[in-house]
Amino acid sequence: MRLLTGLVLVVMAAAALRGLLPRRPGLTVLAAGIAALVLLGFYPQDLATSEFWAGAVGFVSILSALLIVMHPNPMVSVLFLILNLFCTALFFLMLQAQTLAVLQVIVYAGAIMVLFVFVIMLLNLRAEEGLRMSMGPQRWGAIGFGAAFAGLMFWALRHRHGAAYVEPKPFVEGFGTARDLGTLLFSDYVFATEAASVLLIAAMVGAVLLAKRRLE
Amino acid sequence: MRIDFFLVMAALLFTVGCVGVLIRRNVIVILMCIELMLNAVNLTFIAFAHEMRSMAGHVFALFVITVAACEAAVGLAIVLALFRRRRTTNVDDVSLMRW
Repeated sequence: MRLLTGLVLVVMAAAALRGLLPRRPGLTVLAAGIAALVLLGFYPQDLATSEFWAGAVGFVSILSALLIVMHPNPMVSVLFLILNLFCTALFFLMLQAQTLAVLQVIVYAGAIMVLFVFVIMLLNLRAEEGLRMSMGPQRWGAIGFGAAFAGLMFWALRHRHGAAYVEPKPFVEGFGTARDLGTLLFSDYVFATEAASVLLIAAMVGAVLLAKRRLE
Repeated sequence: MRIDFFLVMAALLFTVGCVGVLIRRNVIVILMCIELMLNAVNLTFIAFAHEMRSMAGHVFALFVITVAACEAAVGLAIVLALFRRRRTTNVDDVSLMRW
């Protein structure tokens, strides 16, 4: 984890340097790369731990989420959202949900994001002006609300374990495979599955109706 | 492996998405932030499914993905209809509601 902390500090220092020297982006990237290589040379044993990789993926995930929100151009936001969805798929793999990880990449990062990219290119949107302008009351309110919300969630997480932590049961055979997921879907959750199919048809009809040339 | 790290990640992603919905004015970016929040919820479902050793969380995450697909299709159709009528994707320009 020391390696990860160092890398996060390097990236933050590079971002600060980028703000100080806006004319020299190549120099900033070069300095950050050299610092990262030096760190890798100091702590090579950290590369073998799963905690390091989980932390690295988490760092990329949070960074891309922030860039989705802060970047003025919607096209760049979509690309960072795809990166974020890939990071979440890696988290699913770490939590032994192989099928959901594959579905995440195919359905989310594939189908849904293609829809977003298509609409943005169709509308030919320009970057949003006023994103870097003075902060209105709503923006300050949103930032205050976000801080309060994050505090509430961390408080809930801290007080999650009423009793001492007990190591859970070992995994059953086939946990997270497509076979077990399909069996569950068509036995215990068959009504919900049918309801989801009705929901998909309703959404499809609604989208077709909304795309008609004249709304009457 | 303890799941607290994944819960913290999901909380952070949900908060970022929530703040994004509130501060951005572009409809498409607001829809993307909603996707981000749904994704954070999925991560929480999967993390608890891992700790409980129960696949019910996986089924729920699958249904969340279904709902997200429907929401994206209908939402983007609404954005297209809105853009065709008003030539804008700014939510502040379409605050007037009438029938």
